[in-house]
Amino acid sequence: MSREMTKRVHKALADDNLQSALGRLTPLLKMVLQMALEGIDFDALSKEIRRVKEKSIANLPQLVELFKIEAAESGAVVYEARGAEDANNYVLKLAQERHVKHIVKSKSMLTEELELREYLEHAGMEVKETDIGEWIIQLAGERPAHMVGPAIHKTIEQVAELLSTETGEQLEPEPQVLLNAARHALRQFYINADMGISGANIAIAETGSIVIVTNEGNGCMATTLPPIHVALVGYEKLVSSLEDADAILRLLSRSTMGMKMPVYISYISGPSNTTAIPEVPSLSAQGPGEVHIVLVDNGRWQMRESTEFREALYCIKCGACLNVCPVFQSLAGQTYGYIYQGGIGAILTAFLHGMDKAKDPASLCMGCMACKEVCPACIDIPRMVSQLKARFVAEEGLSWKGKVAYRGVLKHPARLDRAIRVGSYLQRPFTDKDFMTRWLPYPLNSLAQTISLPALSHRPLRDRLKDSSSPKKGVHPSVAFYAGCVADYAYPDLGQDVMKVLRECGAEPYYPQGQTCCGAPAWFAGDVETTLGLARRNIAALEEGDPDYIVTVCPGCAVMLKQEYPRLTAAEPDWNQRAKVLSSKIRDFSQLVLELTPSAEKRPPLNEKVTYHDPCYLKRGLGVYVEPRQLLEREGLELVEMADSDACCGFGGEIVLKYPELSNSVLQRKLDNIEASGADIVVTNCTPCILQIRGGLDKRKSNIKVIHSAELMAKYSNSHARSA
Amino acid sequence: MDLGATEVVERFKTEATRVGAMVYEAKDAKDAGDYVLKVAQEHGVKHIVKSKSMLAEEIGLREQLENAGIEVRETDIAEWITQLAGERAAHAEYLVPPKTIEQVAGLISKATGEKLEADPQALSIAARRALRQSYIVADMGISEASVAIAETGTLIIMSNEGNDRLVAVLPPIHVTMLDRKELVSNMEDATAKLKLLSKTVTDRKMSRYITYITGRNTTADIPKALMARAQGPEEEHIVLVDRAASK
Repeated sequence: MSREMTKRVHKALADDNLQSALGRLTPLLKMVLQMALEGIDFDALSKEIRRVKEKSIANLPQLVELFKIEAAESGAVVYEARGAEDANNYVLKLAQERHVKHIVKSKSMLTEELELREYLEHAGMEVKETDIGEWIIQLAGERPAHMVGPAIHKTIEQVAELLSTETGEQLEPEPQVLLNAARHALRQFYINADMGISGANIAIAETGSIVIVTNEGNGCMATTLPPIHVALVGYEKLVSSLEDADAILRLLSRSTMGMKMPVYISYISGPSNTTAIPEVPSLSAQGPGEVHIVLVDNGRWQMRESTEFREALYCIKCGACLNVCPVFQSLAGQTYGYIYQGGIGAILTAFLHGMDKAKDPASLCMGCMACKEVCPACIDIPRMVSQLKARFVAEEGLSWKGKVAYRGVLKHPARLDRAIRVGSYLQRPFTDKDFMTRWLPYPLNSLAQTISLPALSHRPLRDRLKDSSSPKKGVHPSVAFYAGCVADYAYPDLGQDVMKVLRECGAEPYYPQGQTCCGAPAWFAGDVETTLGLARRNIAALEEGDPDYIVTVCPGCAVMLKQEYPRLTAAEPDWNQRAKVLSSKIRDFSQLVLELTPSAEKRPPLNEKVTYHDPCYLKRGLGVYVEPRQLLEREGLELVEMADSDACCGFGGEIVLKYPELSNSVLQRKLDNIEASGADIVVTNCTPCILQIRGGLDKRKSNIKVIHSAELMAKYSNSHARSA
Repeated sequence: MDLGATEVVERFKTEATRVGAMVYEAKDAKDAGDYVLKVAQEHGVKHIVKSKSMLAEEIGLREQLENAGIEVRETDIAEWITQLAGERAAHAEYLVPPKTIEQVAGLISKATGEKLEADPQALSIAARRALRQSYIVADMGISEASVAIAETGTLIIMSNEGNDRLVAVLPPIHVTMLDRKELVSNMEDATAKLKLLSKTVTDRKMSRYITYITGRNTTADIPKALMARAQGPEEEHIVLVDRAASK
C-alpha cells in the first residue's frame, strides 16, 4: 500500500459528486444484474465462453497465422505490434502518410491502455472520442471510471458543464438536452474525419473478420464514414470461428448491460468494395478504402505463458465484476490508478504496465468473491489477486510491518497467544462494562473509530476448554472444533455455545489444543511461507483424536482449511494427502447441526424477527447459504431477508487494516440494509462478520443484536432437549 | 429452441417490440407499401435513402413513394445507376447492370452536374461523394434484412459497399423490410444462414459488412437516465411481409 493510494481512497470517499453519482448507480447495476440472468442458463453459457476462451488462447499461434491470411485475403492490412510505442507509432505514421488531420474514435480499452489518443494528439492530430461516455471523459481530461461506462462517476451537472464548454452553448443539466447536443456535435465529427479508429470485441480467424459491439451506433459510423479504418485488437480477442464468436456474444451484453443482445454488432471483413463500375473487377466503395488491423501484444503473450495468470486473458471486458464489487461501488474506477479497474484490473495492470504498478490496485481487493460469481468467463479473479500478492512477496519480500506481524508473531503460535493476552491486558482500561471498546488512544485510535471493538477475553476459549481437548474414546460422531482466532480470543462464549449445542445434538465435540491461526492474514498479504507453516501445524493438530467432523464458526478459516491447504501443500505428497483428508471433514456449524439432526422437528414460533447476513466465504467460498436459513426456520424464527444479504460487510482482505475508511463505507451500506429489514436480530455464521457488524451497529447506537447461529440455538435450547 | 413458423413470427414481434422497435405485419404487398408511405408522410419525410431490397422492388415501394412526391435515392451503386437510367432493377441480386463505362459516366455526370471522364476511379469517387450527401440530408432510411432472429428480435443486414450501415444508422427513421421466410429461431441458425448467404451471394466467406441490429439504439452515458436514441435513428420500424402470399 502506498501513501498515494491511501490519499486517493480518502479523496474518492470525500468527493460528494462522486459519491452521489455512485449512489445513483448502485440500484441501476443491481437491475442490470437481474436482467442479465433472466431466462437463461447462465452456468451453461458461461462455461461455453470459458471453453471457447481456453481453446482460443491455447491455439493462439495458429489462430494468428490463420487470421493474417484471411484478413489479407479480404484486403485488410494486418500489423503485429509488440508494445504500446510500436502500435502507436504504426497508427501515427499511417495517419501522417495519408495527411490525416481529423480522427474519430470509438471506445476501446486497448487504446486507453496504449494511450493512443494522447499520442496522436501530441503529434498535432485532432482526435474525437465518439462514445458519449468516453467523449465526456476526454473533455474532462480523465481516465475511464469503468470499462463499459467510462463516465458513470459524473453527475448531470458536471456533464452539462463539460458539454457547454465544448459546444459553446449554455446547456441545461437535462438529459435530453445534453444528449441532443452530443449527437449533433458528434455527427459533424464523423463527417469531417479522415480516419476512424476502433477496437474490436472479437476477431475471427477463419474469416479474418473483426466484431465491434456498440449500443449508441457510433461504432458503425466511426468505422464506415472515414476513408481509413484502423482497428486495434489485443491478441486475446482472437477466436477460431463465427460459432465461437456467438458463444461470447450470447452473454457479453447481458453481463454488460442486462441486454439480450447489443443494439449493434458489426462484423467487418476487409475494406468496402463495389463491382458496380464497369471495366474494373472491384473498387473501393462507400466505406473505408483501407482497413488496418493492429494486433497488439503489450504483455499479453507473457500472460499466456503464465500458468497462474493466463486466465486473465479470458476476460471479455464486460465489466460485470465491477458492477458487483463493493470496493468499486465505494470508489469508482479512477482510484485504481491505471486503465483497468477492479480485481481483474490489478492482474491486467501487472502484465500490461508492470508488476510494481499492480501493488496498489491489488491491495484494494477485499477477496469477497462477488466478481467470481458473475464472471461470464468463470475467471477466479480473487484467487489471481492472492497469487499476485504472493508474487510481490516472493520478489520483494514482506514490508517490515508484515515481517513483524506474520513472520515475527503469527508464524509462532505461542508468541501469537502471548501477544493477544498482552493486548487483552492493555485493552482493559479502554473497555466498557459491556465488554466493548469504543475508543483507543493514538496511534490505535483509527481502529475503534468506525466500529466498536470487542474486548479481548481475559480467559480465551482455549483456556476454558482445557478439559475438552480430546474426544471420549469410541464415542461417535466425534467433532473437532476449530474455533479461529476471533472466537478463541474475542468471543469465547460463542465457542462454549458451539460445544453445548453439538453435545445436545448427540455429538462428541472437543477442542484440539494444538490449533492456531489458519494463516488467512498472511495468505492475504502474500506470505506463502508463513501460511504453509501454519497449515502444517493445524493439519497435525486436527488429526489428533481422528475426528469424524471438523466444525468451524469462521468461514474464512474454513476456506483456508478446506480449499487452500490442499493447494498450498500440492508440492508435498504426504502433507497434501493429509490436507485432503482434513478438507473432507470440514463443516460449517449450520451444516453439521442439520447433518447430525436431520429429522428434528420445527419448533413453535418465537416472537422475534431475524435477518441473515451471508458471509462471503460461507456463501461464495463454501456454497453454504441454504442451511443457515433452514436452521433459523427450524428454530421457529421468522426470517426477513435484507437487501443484498450476500454483499460483503467490509471486513474482507487487508482493507480493514489498510483502508479503514473504505471498509467503513462498505459497512455502512450493509448496516443500512440491516436496519431497513426491520429485523430485531442479525444472524450470521462468521465471527469476523459479527465483529464488524456488531461494532458498526454499536456505533450507530442501534438495538439490533448480531449473533451466530450457535448462540441463537444455545439461547433457545435450555428448555428443549435435542435428539440425534 | 425450435419454433414453428407462427411461433417464430410471434416471438420475433414480442422481442423486437420489447427492445423498442415497431413491428408491422403487412397483410399483403400493397399494405406494406401503404404502411411505409404512411410513416413517411406522418413524419413529413422528404428525402429517403434506400439500400438494396428485392422485397421493396417487388412491391414497387420506390415508385409508390416517388409518386407521393418523396425523393428516394438508391444507395447501392449498381442500383443507383439503374435508378438513374430509369430502369427496373435487375432481378438477380448483385448483378452488374449491363452498361458500358461511357454510359455510366454519362448517367453519373448528369446526376451530379459535373462532367466526368469515363474513368472507373473518378466515377466511384463521384458516386461516393454524391451518395454521402444523400445520407446526410435523408430523413428516412429503408433497408431489407437478410436474416432476422426471433429469440432476440434482431435484424441482420449485409453489404459489401457499406451503404447498408449508413442507411440504417444515419437518418432519424429506419424502416427495415423483412420477408417472413428469413426469420430464424436463434443465433446459431442465423450464423449458419449467414455463412451460406455470404458464399452464394458474394462468393466470399463473409460479406464485408454484416450488421446485427437489435431494437432502438440507446445510451447510459448521460447521468440519470438510460436513454433511447443515442446517435442512430429515433425510430426503428420493421415491416414483416409474407412474400410467398403477396406474389
